[in-house]
Amino acid sequence: MSDCVRIRELIAWYATGSLSRAESTEVTAHLASCEGCREELAATLQLKVGVESEVRRMPRLPESAWKRVVASVRGRPIAQIDVGSFLLGFTLGARVRRGGVPVYGDMRLLGRKIRLFNVEKEEGE
Amino acid sequence: MLSDQQLVRRVAAEDEDAFRDLYDRYADRVFRYGLTLLRNRHLAEEAAQEAMIAVWKSARRFEGRSKVSTWVFGIARNKALDLIRREKRGDRVPDVSLVTPDPAPTLRKQELVQHALGELPESQREVVFLTFYEGLSYGEISGILGIPEGTVKSRMFHAKRRLAEVLS
Repeated sequence: MSDCVRIRELIAWYATGSLSRAESTEVTAHLASCEGCREELAATLQLKVGVESEVRRMPRLPESAWKRVVASVRGRPIAQIDVGSFLLGFTLGARVRRGGVPVYGDMRLLGRKIRLFNVEKEEGE
Repeated sequence: MLSDQQLVRRVAAEDEDAFRDLYDRYADRVFRYGLTLLRNRHLAEEAAQEAMIAVWKSARRFEGRSKVSTWVFGIARNKALDLIRREKRGDRVPDVSLVTPDPAPTLRKQELVQHALGELPESQREVVFLTFYEGLSYGEISGILGIPEGTVKSRMFHAKRRLAEVLS
């Protein structure tokens, strides 16, 4: 019976396959000989399916959220100098964003941006 | 395809393409975790945005000792709890329409699950979400919530018992 208490503590994570190999082996061995715990596993699996289904029906995060996130992390440009082309070029710029004023230098190589440096001066320093 | 850890390393170097990839992998999951905790769509959206901004800002401090998912959900939880603290609990109106209604009339069982989950205290609801939807181990959940593993197991035990009572 004390085995059943321990096994039932673990059974939710057994149902999702997230136990360690040793714990999983222990639960499997116990289930082979315990009908009560097999019933508990069946009920847990049903609950898992219900929860998964419920969460999948929740709304998705709107795309507008990405725009707000990226605007916040980029900040507002206050100065920028570009030389070269899209394929090979350099950018030196500065932005204002919440918490600091980063000055950055990027290199463009074959259309890919590579950050060379980013120095952030904290506001109020 | 880059692993989560590789993406975070690139985000730490301010690679916006990598951040978009990481955002695509996590923002929606973080939003749903927020919905589970806050039961309010607008607050959950705000929490998800703040969490992803914090991921960008703190990527340089991620040392790779935990899984990226554990780290991201930990940040998301802190942001959701900050919002709960900011909002007066009594003033928040829970969204009753968190899920899209399904026209099929045979969804009685699903409605029961929705009702049963809504009845759980948030401390139990998040353990149920992180276990059954995110597939996290009790050790990982313990790390996200900052509570002992035994407490995670105990919350799951009580949640299952309450769910069984409501669903029976």
